[in-house]
Amino acid sequence: MLKTLIDALSLISTWEVIIAMFAASVYGLVIGSLPGLSATMATALLVPVTFYLSPIAAIATIVAASSMAIFSGDIPGALLRIPGTPASAAYADEAYAMTRKGQAELALGAGVWFSAVGGIAGVLSLMILAPPLAEIALSFSTFEYFWLALLGLMCATLVARSSPVKAIAGMFIGLLVSCIGIENPGGIPRFTFGITDLFGGIEPIPALVGVFAVAQVMRAMLTPEPPPLPRRKFGSIMAGQWTLTKKYHWQMTRGNIVGIIIGVLPGAGADMAAWVSYAMSKRFSKEPQKFGTGHVEGLVEAGASNNASIASGWVPSLLFGIPGDTIAAIAIGVLYMKGLNPGPTLFTEKASSMYAIYLMFIIANILMIPLGIAMIRVAAYILLAPRSTVMPIIMLCCAVGSFAIGNNMFGVVTVAAFGVIGYVMEANGYPVAAMVLGIVMGTMVEQAFVTSLIKSDGSILPFFERPVAAILAAMAIGALLWPVMVWVWRKVKPALTAAAATSQ
Amino acid sequence: MRLPDSVTGSFLVALGAAAAYGGWVLPPVPGQPVGPNVFPLVIGTGLALCGLAIVFGIGHSFEEEEELIPLEDGQAATAPPPQGKLYGLRALLPPALLLFYVFAADRLGFIITAAIMVYVTSSALGAKWKLALPLAALSPFAIHLIFGKLLRVPLPAGLLPTPW
Repeated sequence: MLKTLIDALSLISTWEVIIAMFAASVYGLVIGSLPGLSATMATALLVPVTFYLSPIAAIATIVAASSMAIFSGDIPGALLRIPGTPASAAYADEAYAMTRKGQAELALGAGVWFSAVGGIAGVLSLMILAPPLAEIALSFSTFEYFWLALLGLMCATLVARSSPVKAIAGMFIGLLVSCIGIENPGGIPRFTFGITDLFGGIEPIPALVGVFAVAQVMRAMLTPEPPPLPRRKFGSIMAGQWTLTKKYHWQMTRGNIVGIIIGVLPGAGADMAAWVSYAMSKRFSKEPQKFGTGHVEGLVEAGASNNASIASGWVPSLLFGIPGDTIAAIAIGVLYMKGLNPGPTLFTEKASSMYAIYLMFIIANILMIPLGIAMIRVAAYILLAPRSTVMPIIMLCCAVGSFAIGNNMFGVVTVAAFGVIGYVMEANGYPVAAMVLGIVMGTMVEQAFVTSLIKSDGSILPFFERPVAAILAAMAIGALLWPVMVWVWRKVKPALTAAAATSQ
Repeated sequence: MRLPDSVTGSFLVALGAAAAYGGWVLPPVPGQPVGPNVFPLVIGTGLALCGLAIVFGIGHSFEEEEELIPLEDGQAATAPPPQGKLYGLRALLPPALLLFYVFAADRLGFIITAAIMVYVTSSALGAKWKLALPLAALSPFAIHLIFGKLLRVPLPAGLLPTPW
């Protein structure tokens, strides 16, 4: 234990890791604070750069950039009422109301302080949950993996803020994309239409860059530019945060726990965590009438929640290769490329690397406090950059970055194609996160499914015979039937009340 | 680009049916009951069923309509930009530029292609030429410095090689 910890420390105390982490933090803060550029997009554009770094430095950049970007999205939310990332959207109104009351320092300070606390709570959950789960997961066979993957995919469709049918359709589209290529049980070219570039399949990373970055530039083409930020002088930002921590320690803890749970669920990430926690805070508050008028309570809970989900999203990613959110989906791609293939053995064979990841998360969240305060003070200047200078650079990074992944122009074509797919899906209410999950998990689902079928000789029974498999199967089928039950309930309930009314 | 559910649903039915058929015709692995054909078959069928459900409007009641944030009195209401029939097509500009990059980068070289991309995107987003031109002149060199020089991505030199 102590030896692995020392090993981990020596892994992260190289100049490469330190510089990479610092640079990625600044990058994450800037991207997160610009409205329209999300934390996922920041991470996706970072991937080509991680190719040229050592494994630990590569993960350090992702950890630092994603944590910082989630906090940084609070800044324009509080100052402009435009959330910098979707994760801040839940409480942007509240924070802006505080700014109008002259409490901008308190709102932003709560953002940075409770984000850091939430992030550290998330890491603790990762450290406590992952090793015992890895013990259990070691005894999993393909049946358990199949049901687990299915459960993950179903969760993603359940939590989508859209029609579950459209979410399931999005998931199927993602799975269909993963079918392309020769990496299948028979090694036969499948859906390649004779195009040689398609033999290797669709790389997940260019697809993600397309869906999250190019689609965003496309949306920017049709939406008006956000207003510039009025310049203002800030007082002390951290003043009063300790009082808030003592006053709202229960809300903070609840936010942390909700964030951790939502982070672990596949497909649900920081934005969902913030929405749920903000709603919960209002529901259980002693003074719910103050919500919406610039009350800090909801900010505390939701800010603690969205950052907690970032680290806990890595739990299923590291254990099973099932991404906890879209950022973790990108991280999985990087893990594979760096030879840290997700799986339970990662915790026994590469224990020092795991400890290094924990440590980097903790450092990133501590670093967030000074860097965050600095960012709040210079935000007014960064937000002066008009969209017409930022978006062209994003476009160039998309083109060069997707080319760099395989030194292949086909990557750029993939990015363009998935930009269009992501844009059209989003515009019509199909959640792209479900498709992304399908693309990332497709090969794994198919492998587990086909291997299980071969083992069972075409029979369905062995899928339910092992106890863990049976439990997971029940949960997955329950998740599949849940929307149907809700739908039926909604149809039946008005009929019942109408019947009751007529009988009276 | 908001299409009626019946259109996107029908498209999904067609896509699912095509995928299922494509899986069906794949050759099986000799001596093996399940091969590469099973998974596309399952997915294609599922996708087609989802498409049908969407056409018939099942699950539509779950969709949350997008909330429009009302403008505060402090913020000046920006006039909506002039919207012609072709206005919606502007969204296709970014992917079109990426395809332009694919075809032109090898011939024109990275610097020239990138400069054109930056200039077009920037002006499409409303930048005056005073801003777009310097941006288009400088940013390709910056990107080339990071990716080409530091990360050693082999970017095409084309007509205008970089000084380093």
